[in-house]
Amino acid sequence: MDAILDQARTIYEGEIDFEGQRLAEYITYGLLSVAGAIAFLVGFATQNIYQTLYIGLGGTALTFLIVVPPWPFFNKHPQPFLPPRTTNSALQGISIEVDGKKVS
Amino acid sequence: MHSSLVRIQNVFGFFTSVAFAVAAAIAISVVLSPQAPSASLELKNVKVAKGRPHYYSTKREEYAHITFSLDADLTSLFNWNTKQIYLWVSASYPSPKHPSTPPSEAIIWDAIIPADAAPYHPNTYTHPSPKNKGSSNRRNSKPGKNAGKPYPEGGSPGIVRLESQKPKYQITDVTGKIAEKGNATLTLHWNVQPWVGLLTWTNRATYGRWEGLKGGSTGAFEFPAIKGSETIKKEELRTETGAEARRGSPS
Repeated sequence: MDAILDQARTIYEGEIDFEGQRLAEYITYGLLSVAGAIAFLVGFATQNIYQTLYIGLGGTALTFLIVVPPWPFFNKHPQPFLPPRTTNSALQGISIEVDGKKVS
Repeated sequence: MHSSLVRIQNVFGFFTSVAFAVAAAIAISVVLSPQAPSASLELKNVKVAKGRPHYYSTKREEYAHITFSLDADLTSLFNWNTKQIYLWVSASYPSPKHPSTPPSEAIIWDAIIPADAAPYHPNTYTHPSPKNKGSSNRRNSKPGKNAGKPYPEGGSPGIVRLESQKPKYQITDVTGKIAEKGNATLTLHWNVQPWVGLLTWTNRATYGRWEGLKGGSTGAFEFPAIKGSETIKKEELRTETGAEARRGSPS
């Protein structure tokens, strides 16, 4: 049960790595700006403001689709954790007890 | 941008900025589209008769009934950012006793003319089809590409051709006396209502690519002396609304 909840939480939070965050921001600004510019130009060329509306909304929907889910290409550079410091000198000589059990 | 929620907020936030920027660009782009409106407005007939503001009123006022002919080409007011235009004809007459006050104005006819792209709305004006074309013409006419449009075949939004049009509103003065007032004129006005951006009103001067309205007002005329409502037939004082006012009720 816990494993399933953990998985659900991971999907819901959709965390990505640092490189992915840089890329996501870049895609957001680039795609939305370009969609806005294309929307205006196409609408002006065809003299039809509905084209502008639909291209703008379509571009925004596409941006949401590309940027929001934690796609694999946002997680290509995972930041590894430091190795566990089991023999850390700072903790030597200190004993921590939780509920009468020794944990360190 | 580390979690989905933050990314949603970021994309939506920047979307609002882009939407505002595009809307501003559209609003500004209309100054690039040239405008050259022209109209000829002609007074046909003026009658003044006594009447009541409503059936149960004890007040007797003078009402002017003005018929006119209008031939206007306002197609250039319809650019890609025009939703509809509000068009009206007003009678204005100065007050000789108070020359410093602006002239009185009263609307005798108006219409909301939708652009082709505007969705259907029952309040918009349906241009009457030209009359006296003969019955054979009507029988032969097939539904063309203008079928369902609020203007006749071969027309376009902004073309208004009204021959001896009855007024939509009879007018009176605040004093209740309108007979024998002089120096009155009829003037055509409009208000362009865009999809996004600023409303614009009738311009008679030229600004950049926007030429001022050519024509669109009559020479001075005088409201005639009063005649009893008995001597003018009721039919002659009838007002006429566009088809939009009768929609949904038997005509």
